[in-house]
Amino acid sequence: MSFDILQSVLFALLTVGIVGAAAGVVLMKRITGSALLMAFAFLCNAGMFLLLGAETVAAFQVLIYVGAITVLILYGVMFTPQQDRRYGLFFQTQTPWAALLVAPIGIFVAFFAFSFADPGKALPGGGDLVPLATSVFGDFAFPFEVASVLLLAAMIGAIVLVKRDEE
Amino acid sequence: MIPLGAFIAVSAVLFFIGVAGVLVRRNAVVILMCVELMLNATNLALVAFSRKAGMIDERGSVFVVFVFVVAAAEVAVGLAIVLSLYRNRPTVDVDEVHAMKG
Amino acid sequence: MTPATEVATSATFIQLVWLIPAFPLAAFLINGLFGKRWLGHATGWIAAAAVAASAVLSIGVFLDVLRGNVHTTVTLYRWIGVGDFEVNIAALVDPLSSVMLLVVTVVSTLIFVYSIGYMAHDHGFPRFFTWLSLFVFAMLILVMADNYLLMFVGWEGVGLCSYLLIGFWFERPEPYVAAKKAFVMNRIGDWGYTIGMVTTFLVFGSMTFTEVFEHVDIATQANLLLICLAFFVGATGKSAQLPLYSWLPDAMEGPTPVSALIHAATMVTAGVYLVARSTPLFAAAAPALEVVAVVGALTAIFAATIALVQFDIKRVMAYSTVSQLGYMFLALGVGAPIAAVFHLATHAFFKALLFLGSGSVIHGMQGEQDMRKMGGLRRKMPVTYWTMLLAGGALAAIPPLAGFWSKDEIVGAAWTSGHTALWVVGIITAILTAFYVTRAMWMTFHGEPRDHHLYDHAHESPAVMTLPLVALAVGTVTLGAVVGFPPDAGFIHTFLTPSVEVHGAGGEHHAPEIATILALAAVSVGAGIVGILIGLSMYVRHRPDPSAVSRAAGPFYRVLVNKYYVDDLYDRRIVDLLRGAFGVMWAFDVHVIDGIANGLGRLAALGGGGARRLQTGVVGNYAFMVVAGLFLLIVAYGGYAAGVFTR
Repeated sequence: MSFDILQSVLFALLTVGIVGAAAGVVLMKRITGSALLMAFAFLCNAGMFLLLGAETVAAFQVLIYVGAITVLILYGVMFTPQQDRRYGLFFQTQTPWAALLVAPIGIFVAFFAFSFADPGKALPGGGDLVPLATSVFGDFAFPFEVASVLLLAAMIGAIVLVKRDEE
Repeated sequence: MIPLGAFIAVSAVLFFIGVAGVLVRRNAVVILMCVELMLNATNLALVAFSRKAGMIDERGSVFVVFVFVVAAAEVAVGLAIVLSLYRNRPTVDVDEVHAMKG
Repeated sequence: MTPATEVATSATFIQLVWLIPAFPLAAFLINGLFGKRWLGHATGWIAAAAVAASAVLSIGVFLDVLRGNVHTTVTLYRWIGVGDFEVNIAALVDPLSSVMLLVVTVVSTLIFVYSIGYMAHDHGFPRFFTWLSLFVFAMLILVMADNYLLMFVGWEGVGLCSYLLIGFWFERPEPYVAAKKAFVMNRIGDWGYTIGMVTTFLVFGSMTFTEVFEHVDIATQANLLLICLAFFVGATGKSAQLPLYSWLPDAMEGPTPVSALIHAATMVTAGVYLVARSTPLFAAAAPALEVVAVVGALTAIFAATIALVQFDIKRVMAYSTVSQLGYMFLALGVGAPIAAVFHLATHAFFKALLFLGSGSVIHGMQGEQDMRKMGGLRRKMPVTYWTMLLAGGALAAIPPLAGFWSKDEIVGAAWTSGHTALWVVGIITAILTAFYVTRAMWMTFHGEPRDHHLYDHAHESPAVMTLPLVALAVGTVTLGAVVGFPPDAGFIHTFLTPSVEVHGAGGEHHAPEIATILALAAVSVGAGIVGILIGLSMYVRHRPDPSAVSRAAGPFYRVLVNKYYVDDLYDRRIVDLLRGAFGVMWAFDVHVIDGIANGLGRLAALGGGGARRLQTGVVGNYAFMVVAGLFLLIVAYGGYAAGVFTR
C-alpha cells in the first residue's frame, strides 16, 4: 500500500511540476526563463513515463528533449536577441479571444479524460525495452527507416535555410 | 494504482497550455517551445495508453519514438526559419511578419 | 462503321491521297513562316511546285479510281469518338471527289503559275502565295472529306481564305468592305450548313457520308426536307445564289487570279459539290430539289440580265459566274447531278480562262478595268485575244467547245425531266449569255481604241502568264468533247455514276430519243448563235445602236445598271431593320444581362473583400483559426456523444 501512496504523491508532484512549468513557459517574460522551465516540464514528463513503467521512453525523453531540443531552443534564443523592445506588448491582441476559446475546450477535454476506464490489467513487468525494440525493429522497421530519411531532410533543410549566401 | 484517466487529464492540460501559448505569445521561439509542450502532452497520452492497455508489444511507445524524430526535425527546421527571418529583419515577433496579408 | 473498303492492289495513289493536301499545307507553312523575310519571290514557285505535285498525285488518284476503286475511305486518324458516334479525319475517294481533286489541283496549278507573273510587282507577293496555298489546302480538305464535319472544316477554311484574298489590298477601302460583305453573307450560308449538319447528326446519328446515305430511309420526309433546305442555304451562300449572291461581284476587288481561282473555278463551286455529294439525300426530298432547280434557274437569268449592262470587265465575268452557277443548281434540281459536275469542270476551265484573260488585259492596260476605255486590243494582245475568244465561245455554248456539251446537257435535262418553264428560262439565259460575251469581247478587243494613251502602252503579258492561258484554252476546247460525247452517255457519265446513284433506287435511265437530243441541242446552239448575232449587230453595225437601246429601255436599263437595287435593299431595309432590332437587344444586353453579370461580380468582390480580411498574414491568427476549428469539432463531438444531434 505504501508503494501506491508513494506513487500518488509522486504523480501529484509531477503534475504540479508539469502544469506549473508549462504555465511558466507561457507566462514568463524572459525567454531564457521560458526555455529553462520548458526543460523542467520535459524532465517532469520523463518522471511520468517512469511512473508508467516506461523506462526506455523516459531515457529517450531525457536525452532528446531535456538534452538536445532544449539546447537547440537555447541557441535559438541566443541567436535572436531582442534589443529593440519597442513593443511592450507581451501578448498578442487576440489573447482574450484565445483564452475564451482554449479554456472551455481544455476544461472539457480534461474532465472528459477521467472517463477513460482502466483496462484492469496488471502492468507487464520487466520494463518496456524489449517490447519497444521488438516493435521498432519488427513491424515498424520500414517507418523507422523512413524517419531517418525525414531527419536527414530536416538537417539539410535547416542547413540550407540558415546558410548565408556567399557572394 | 493511478488511474489512466489521471494521466490523460494531465496530458490534456499540458496540451491546452501549449495551445494557449501558441495563441497568445508573440515571440516565435516561445511559440516553438509551446509546440514542443504540445508534442510532449501527446507523448504522455501515448505512453499512458500503451502501458495501461497491457499489450505485450509496445505499439503506443513506438509512436512516441516517431514523435521524437518529428519533434527534433520540427525544432531544427523551425529554428532555421526563425533565424533566417531574424537575419532579414531583426525581429522574431510573429505579429510583424505579415507579408502574406490579403 | 463504314462498310468494308476493299482496296485493290493497284490503288497506290489512293493510299497516298493525304499527300495531296499536304503539299499545299507545307507550302503555306513555309511561305507563311519564312516567306516575307527570306524567300521573297521564291514563294510563288514553291507554292506552284507544291500544287503541281498535288496535281500529279491527283491524276494518279484519278487513274486509280478509273481502274475500279470506286469507293475507298482513307482514314488518317480518329478525330472524335463518343460511343457509337465517330468522326474521322478521313478521305472519301470516289469518282466525284477524284474529279474535283483533279479540277481543283490542275486549275490551281495553272493559276499559280499565272499569278507569279501577275503579282510580280506587288509588295504583298509572299503573303499572296501564303493565303493562296492555304486556300488550296482547305479546298482539297473540303473535297476529300468523308463526313460533313470535316467538310465543314474545309468549307470554313476556304471562306476564310476568300475573305483574306478579297481584302488582299486592304489599304484601299473597297476591298476590305467587299471582304467583309463576303464574310457576312457566307456566315448566313454557314448557319444553314451548321443546321443541316447538326440535324443530320440528330436524325442519322452519324455525319459520315456513306453511313448517312445508306440509311436515308430511316428519316422522315420533314427531316430530310429540313436537312436538304438547310444545306442548300449553305450552298447559296458559298455558291452565290439568290438571295445571297451579291457578295460575289464585289469580291472582284481582290486580285484577278483570286477571282479566277476562288470566285470562279473552285470555291464557289463548293455549294454545287455539297449538293451533288448529298444527292442521295436530295433525291429523297423531292420538294427540296424543286427549290434548288427554281432558285438555280432564277439566279441564272437574274445574273445574266445584270451582266448585260456592266462596264467593268471583271464584273461582267462575276455576274456570268453567278449565272453559270445557277445553271449548275438547275441541273442538280432537275435530277442531273452528273451534268452539274460536268458543267462545274468545264466552267472551271473556261471561266478561269476568261478571268485570267481579263487579268491579262487589265495587266496590259495598267490596271484599267472599264471596257469603255478599251477596244482594238486584239492586235496588241493576240494570245490573250484568241484564248479568250475560245473561252467566250465556250461560255456561249458554241460546239464543239467545252461549255456546249455541259450546258446542253443541263438544258436538255430540264426539258426531259418535264420542267418546261425552267427549260425556257435556260434558253433565254443562253441567249443573254451569248449576247454579253459578244459585247464584252467586242468592247475589249475590237473596234477602235477608245483611250489612245492606254492603248499605246498596252502590251502582251509575259510568257508566265500566257502559257497558263494557252493550257486552259486547250482544256476549254477539248475537255467537253472528250469526256462529254455522246451527250448523256459520255465518259463522264459512266465514270461518275457510282458516286451519285441513289442507294437502293435502282437505275431508272430513261435515255431520251436521239431526235430529242438533237433537237434540244439545236435549240440551245441556236440560242447561242442568236445571242451572238444580236450582239454583233448592235456593237458592229450599230443596228440598233446600244445607247439608243439603253435610252429606249429607260427604267429597265437603270434597274439593271443598279443591279435590281438589291444591294440598296439589303443595306437600307434589312441592315437598318437589323440595326433597330439589335439596338433593342443591345439595350437589353447592357442593362439587364450585363446588370445581372456585373451584379454577381460585385457580389463576389464584396464577399472576397470580406474574406480578404481573414487573411491577415499573421501566423497567430491562423493558429487561432485552427484552434477554433478544433473547438467546433469538439463541440460537434460532444453534442453527438450527448445525443443532441441524431443521425
